[in-house]
Amino acid sequence: MSKRISILAFLLTLLAVLPGKCLASGGEGEKKDIDVKEIIFEHLGDGYGWEVPFSHTYRMPLPCIVRSQDGHWFCFSSAGLTEVKEEEGEDGKVHHVSEPVVKVCERDGKQYSFVIAHVSSHKDKIVEIFPLSEEDRGIVDEALARERADKASDNAFPVIDGYVLVDGQYYREYRPLDLSVTKNVAAIFIAVVIVFLMVMSLARFYRKNGLRAPRKGMGFIELCVSFIYYDNIKPALGDNARKFAPYLLTVFFFILVMNLTGLVVIFPGGANLTGNIAVTLVLALCTFIITNVLGTKHYWKEIFWPDVPLLLKFPLPIMQMIEVFGIFTKPAALCVRLFANMMGGHMIVITLTLLIFIFAAFGAAMAGAATVVSVLFSLFMLALDVLVSFIQAYVFTLLSALFIAMAQAREEHGHKGEGHDPDVEKKEAAELKSEEAALHKLAAEIDMNK
Amino acid sequence: MELFTPEIGLVFWMFVAFILLFLVLAKWGWPMIIKMMDKRASTIDRGVEDARQAREQLDNAREEARKYVVEAQAKQSEMLREAAKMKSDIIEEARREAAEAARREMESARLAIDQARKEAELQFRNEVGKVSIDIAEKMVRTRMQNDKAQTELVNRLLDEIEKN
Repeated sequence: MSKRISILAFLLTLLAVLPGKCLASGGEGEKKDIDVKEIIFEHLGDGYGWEVPFSHTYRMPLPCIVRSQDGHWFCFSSAGLTEVKEEEGEDGKVHHVSEPVVKVCERDGKQYSFVIAHVSSHKDKIVEIFPLSEEDRGIVDEALARERADKASDNAFPVIDGYVLVDGQYYREYRPLDLSVTKNVAAIFIAVVIVFLMVMSLARFYRKNGLRAPRKGMGFIELCVSFIYYDNIKPALGDNARKFAPYLLTVFFFILVMNLTGLVVIFPGGANLTGNIAVTLVLALCTFIITNVLGTKHYWKEIFWPDVPLLLKFPLPIMQMIEVFGIFTKPAALCVRLFANMMGGHMIVITLTLLIFIFAAFGAAMAGAATVVSVLFSLFMLALDVLVSFIQAYVFTLLSALFIAMAQAREEHGHKGEGHDPDVEKKEAAELKSEEAALHKLAAEIDMNK
Repeated sequence: MELFTPEIGLVFWMFVAFILLFLVLAKWGWPMIIKMMDKRASTIDRGVEDARQAREQLDNAREEARKYVVEAQAKQSEMLREAAKMKSDIIEEARREAAEAARREMESARLAIDQARKEAELQFRNEVGKVSIDIAEKMVRTRMQNDKAQTELVNRLLDEIEKN
């Protein structure tokens, strides 16, 4: 025990001392200001290549698939969009910097140019560029003149809507339909493969071993399955459990795997998937579709002619408006809850890590202290995020199950249910409430950390 | 703001990947797992139920055995009691019979004795009569040895007859 403590103390001391050392040896070359916002957004956002572990310059190329303005599809490697250049720093050291270059494709004797925009309204996305026409030139010149007239800003190359700056020259830009396999898409594929392997290995185990209970890793998967299926899906959906279980279980495992791989810093992980609104949007959309397409007559009746006093629904359709609004807010809440929780977690960890570099400006001692504090805090936050990963996957599944169950209500069932199933409903409501309470607590904690 | 605007490409690929994953798992993954888990759960439930029933049966059997033992013991003690009663009955009977026999024996003995005594009395009387007659005869003989005495007797007897 004491040995462990001494190792820990040693590591912490190392943390405290190392940044100072680096500052001393790195010298005055690192004068560049840290753009915190840009770094955070770069980490939270998507990219056309995947960073090679522990390198910020080199990226694993991924396929880019874009549709140009005149309707041709192009597929090329993202390696063609960046070039690693050697750059001599002020201290004489050589830095490798990744710079965007124009990718030119030929089709039917016509040239198409694509580039990752930097100074543009489509920052960090692929755009197709065209040389400026006379009309375009007028617009650009006007914008530049306006910018120069504004004494407050000394930005020589402002962002002009519809134009992109490449190598000190403006081009007209067109944002093509972009189905590129970006870092996030690749990470989704990896998550799909992981979930597929997990589930199929369990299924294969059962096919092979019959009723024997799986052990170790597969036992854990089975634990999750039985937790979700018997504790959430079954109580919520009853007889319909088998019908909807595949969807809900897939959602749970997919979200869980995406959450957890998102927490891994390097290659197979590191993509902020569930903290990306597109991903949660698709998941919420699926729940929305299943809820409403498979909704029963009774469900729609409850929306358009609910059991409330006539005045609430007849001359003015107040209840109907609320109910119809509710149809959309439920999945929207699902989408935003997952997105905000996961993105918040990532953002906090990145910010805590950036604290080191921010405090480095104040000297070695400050940097050392900030390192210790920030490493401890980010460790804590990462541990919390593991918990949140699980809770959010669980909450998403639970709420989806409840929404689907609400849409599966039947008249006679409903009345019967009210008659002799109040316990189950109460239990569910209580669970939901405790779940929400836990959520609020977590949110409060996160806010505190912020 | 770009964080809050979903990217079309990502939405597309996410949708495709998720639907594919869902379809594949819904076809070959989950039904198998859920079926087997349900089956195992019901097997375990059945096993538990069987064990419970077996124990119940065992308990029942034990209970029954105990009941039989108690019954047998009751029967045994009943038999013993009966045997004891029978024994005492037999003894009683024997005693009674013996008493009866003794009584009868004594009765007959008394009758025999009475008979014998009567006979003896009768015999004795006869003997006494005979002896007294003999004595009287002898006395008469001795007293009537002379004629005078005889005549006197005849006279007295005659007198007596006359008186009568």
